[in-house]
Amino acid sequence: MYPAVCVAGIGCICAAGDTLQQAVDSMLRAERHLGAAPIFATTHAEPYPVFPVKKELSHYAFSSAGMRYMRTANLGLEAAHQAIEQSGIDIEQLRTLKVGVCMGTTVGSSMDVEAFYADYRQGATPDMRPIDCFYNSNPAAVISTYFGFNGPQQTIVNACSSGTDAIGTAAMWLRNGCCDVVLAGGADELCRTTYNGFAALQISSPQPCSPFSAERSGLNLGEGAAVLVLARAEVIKQLALAQPYGYVLGYGSGSDGWHLTAPHPEGRGLQQAVHEAIADCADVSGRGVTLDRLAFVNTHGTGTKDNDRVEGLVLAQLLPKTPFHSTKGYTGHTLGAAGAIEAALTLEFLQRQQIPASAGFNVQDPAIALSPVTSNTSFTGNIALSESLAFGGNNAALILGIAEAS
Amino acid sequence: MSTESIKIAIEGVGCVGGFGCGHTAFVSALQQGYAKAQLEEKVHPDGSAFLPALLADTSRLTDFVARRALRRIDHYARMALLGGYLALEDAGVPSSACEKLGVIVASGYGATTTTINFLDSVIDNGDSYASPTNFSNSVHNVAAAYLSMQLQALGPSLTVSQFELSICAALQSAVCWLEQGRVDKVLIGAVDERNALLNDYCWQRSAASDGANTQIAPFDYRRQSAIAGEGAAFLLLSRRDDNTSCGNTPYGYITGLDSGRCTPAQLAADSTAADVLVLGADGQLATADSYSRLAADLGEVLPLVSCAPCYGSLPTGQAFDLIAAALMLRDQCVYGVAAGSKQLVNSPLRTISALKFAPDGQFGQITLSSQAGVYA
Repeated sequence: MYPAVCVAGIGCICAAGDTLQQAVDSMLRAERHLGAAPIFATTHAEPYPVFPVKKELSHYAFSSAGMRYMRTANLGLEAAHQAIEQSGIDIEQLRTLKVGVCMGTTVGSSMDVEAFYADYRQGATPDMRPIDCFYNSNPAAVISTYFGFNGPQQTIVNACSSGTDAIGTAAMWLRNGCCDVVLAGGADELCRTTYNGFAALQISSPQPCSPFSAERSGLNLGEGAAVLVLARAEVIKQLALAQPYGYVLGYGSGSDGWHLTAPHPEGRGLQQAVHEAIADCADVSGRGVTLDRLAFVNTHGTGTKDNDRVEGLVLAQLLPKTPFHSTKGYTGHTLGAAGAIEAALTLEFLQRQQIPASAGFNVQDPAIALSPVTSNTSFTGNIALSESLAFGGNNAALILGIAEAS
Repeated sequence: MSTESIKIAIEGVGCVGGFGCGHTAFVSALQQGYAKAQLEEKVHPDGSAFLPALLADTSRLTDFVARRALRRIDHYARMALLGGYLALEDAGVPSSACEKLGVIVASGYGATTTTINFLDSVIDNGDSYASPTNFSNSVHNVAAAYLSMQLQALGPSLTVSQFELSICAALQSAVCWLEQGRVDKVLIGAVDERNALLNDYCWQRSAASDGANTQIAPFDYRRQSAIAGEGAAFLLLSRRDDNTSCGNTPYGYITGLDSGRCTPAQLAADSTAADVLVLGADGQLATADSYSRLAADLGEVLPLVSCAPCYGSLPTGQAFDLIAAALMLRDQCVYGVAAGSKQLVNSPLRTISALKFAPDGQFGQITLSSQAGVYA
């Protein structure tokens, strides 16, 4: 067991809202800001709806040569700005510390330069800016460089568990002592490559997604970012900050070793991740954490047949009485950002002692023994689980907490 | 980075690249000072040319994985699989004993060719007929996933992409896993593949070389002499607690890990404790100035070498430098191409650092020692 890692500030931007507060407010009002079609051109006969971010992000332009970061990096910067501001830490003071940056992404590290490549194939001499932009947009490097930090940088590309793994990795860095503060989270943008890829795999839904529902027909892609400012308790004290917003109590991960795109049928890696996260935990008072202390579970809950069935199976085995929900019906599946956005939402739900209804759920699936909450649900408790599953058989879990609710 | 009293030992190494397959082939190339490049035809209306490349042959992979299981696995993941299996074999760890192994893969670009193949399927066939196989095999963590599947390694798995500093970033997490007891062993490595779009076309557009290079000239800082490389370099790391004496003698221990931004002069001052400094200089003009300034400060103080002429220029080249350093510690012999006039024969070798610069001036430095010690 290790001491808890403090969350000093959170930034979040997604389709549900431009800030964490906006997002949670809109979820509790049951709003679903789904776009009928993607923001880019597509030739699919029936477009798949997506969850786009509406806020203009162009103020993060490069100062020279008119170059801009990829949208993914801009989303990450926006969330990082919010997180630092909320933490109340003076940026100059922050720069005197060893500040690491650990970000999850999928699109942000992929050379998805379709238009450039199409021109190249045709024998044209395409503008090199998309390639330069790709090189300049590594999410962790962008945030570290933009704010002038001088600690380790790591962009984690574990597909859809990247955001969860980034926060867990950052917590390990702090326990290890290699950083004073870490900005950790995830960022991803909507793009044609992932849009066409998920459609090709036949796991995108032409309807608003309905996680855990019997008639679910796949996921809706989304975009966004979340960043947590993490620090050890003594650094929070040294900086004379207010009470931490919350805590990263435990992190676990496990591999299915099974299939590239399908989860292990019995959720082998997910079970391992949850058990490891629990074993990793110490709560704020230094006590260990047991599964029965979890107030709720934020599931990965994408709305695909396989994911939800396996997640439901594991929940029925490990946490049969714990309320759970999916937020993908409000945010879409934001891929490498998902775990970070959901960690941020989980902490805010703990603060409010309430989780929103699992959007889109209608009909109990006979293959899943449990149902998510169907209305906004209050709870008592100060610890929750957020879990992520990913292509490649990656599974990751975070145990998050707040101080005892007064 | 500081740790408590654990030692992080290098138990085995495995590599495949333009030099051949395995560390014996790598040592041969290091002793020779270079590996012979192949000529690959670049075909584009901008102009056709034959450009040199150091390419990896993964045919030995069938010694470890059934041919049938390799059907859908692309060249990128095959290189990683081969590197990983070779490291396990070198450490004497049977592939049937990997259930609790952690896996970390670092890559600068990921599965570039399969990503491009996916784009081909979209451009040729339309959005509705994109290739699902190419998409699922284009995700960055595909190599780690195949390693986990083939080895039934069910411990944590991580893929990191930080361009030139990828292996340094990945090691940061490996050290944490071992130190915090998440696993006892980590298979960590790096993989990148040559791709015609990136290595031939984009390189030529951004820093044209004359195509007549047959070898990288790492310490000629005035010209672009990079030759595209590809391959995989893996290490099996283990945690050895104090007073524990078990298994084979390790190649050495990882005793330092640092990254960030500082001036070459500051780095030079911090590097003098090493017996040898392996520079990641690989003929790329974009980083030549950083290496040049460091060499000016250190060239007369300690031996500087580059191993890049043996594996080529690729973002994760530092992983090969790490293996070269481990082999130097084992063999008590300095390998690679030397810079400066400092005498290379400097036995006994106790500490070797591998230093890599990114084009934006950031650095990653990894230090290996023959004796265990806490991190500096």
